[in-house]
Amino acid sequence: MKWEKEAVKVYEEAKEYVDTLCVPLSPISLKNAEIASRLANQNKSIHILANELERQYMGRIFLSPGYIYSQSSNFEEEVSKLNQWVKAIYQKEFPHIFYLTYDVKWKKVESYLDGTLIWIPASKIEDYQSRQAKEEIQNQMHQISELIRTFW
Amino acid sequence: MSEKKQQVSRRQFLNYTLTGVGGFMAAGMLAPMVRFAIDPVLQASAIGDMKAVVEVSEITTEPQRFDWTIEQVDAWYTSEVTKSAWVYKDDNDNIVALSPVCKHLGCQVNWAGDDAHPDQFYCPCHDGRYYKDGMNVPDTPPNAGLDIYEHEVRDGTLFLGNAMPREEV
Ligand code: FES
Repeated sequence: MKWEKEAVKVYEEAKEYVDTLCVPLSPISLKNAEIASRLANQNKSIHILANELERQYMGRIFLSPGYIYSQSSNFEEEVSKLNQWVKAIYQKEFPHIFYLTYDVKWKKVESYLDGTLIWIPASKIEDYQSRQAKEEIQNQMHQISELIRTFW
Repeated sequence: MSEKKQQVSRRQFLNYTLTGVGGFMAAGMLAPMVRFAIDPVLQASAIGDMKAVVEVSEITTEPQRFDWTIEQVDAWYTSEVTKSAWVYKDDNDNIVALSPVCKHLGCQVNWAGDDAHPDQFYCPCHDGRYYKDGMNVPDTPPNAGLDIYEHEVRDGTLFLGNAMPREEV
């Protein structure tokens, strides 16, 4: 399920089956064009992955709209903001929470997160329609879903 | 702004608008047999709404998953959506093409996805199961059989159309 009109209606009726929340985490920065374009590309890529994950497991996963933060954040503060954000919005609805990100900085504060961090090593996908991109996404998807399924 | 810059941004704009996010949201995975089955040679072929999916000679009695893409146009942009089917030949040599979408809450099912039931389709979300013919196994969450694709064989190629819910008998 995701934050869309039809899906939310289904969610209301099928709540008890949806026990897993996925939250994509994307940093933003406009200070430097090169970094900005890399981050924008990663943001796109993380959403493609997250949506694909949702499509495969829509009966059990709720895909949250992404959490956006400044790339120059202090991560100790950011981690508690994120925990509060998730708590305020989703309360205690989901026994399993996964954060999807390409940003390695979360790795250091991982243990303070309410939930499980899935850090994906950055990909170099430029052309999202290429066969190579599809294979890469499939490959990452496969690994992520195996990980999530070990929690089920 | 220079002419060059404008061109770049226009192209980027078009890219964003036309390709959309729908891209391969639908790319399949998981199943060992997943493949992008569309041969470039076949790519353009379609009969009405039906799309060329695979050469009949590749279809076995063991269900295999095949993916193909269709173009979906909504009010804002056109995107490529991947569709999937589990395809096999039954005992009477008839081709069966089943939708992978679980009838419980829509997760993707896999053939032999559960080691304990190697001859059934399995849904990892809430342990839904289906027999090979796509009928739901009683006492598992789904309450209907997997949808069946309309199909047609022409010149040795399998074409698939829409997935239809089966009539409850
Ligand atoms: S979505 Fe398949 S068993 Fe629940």
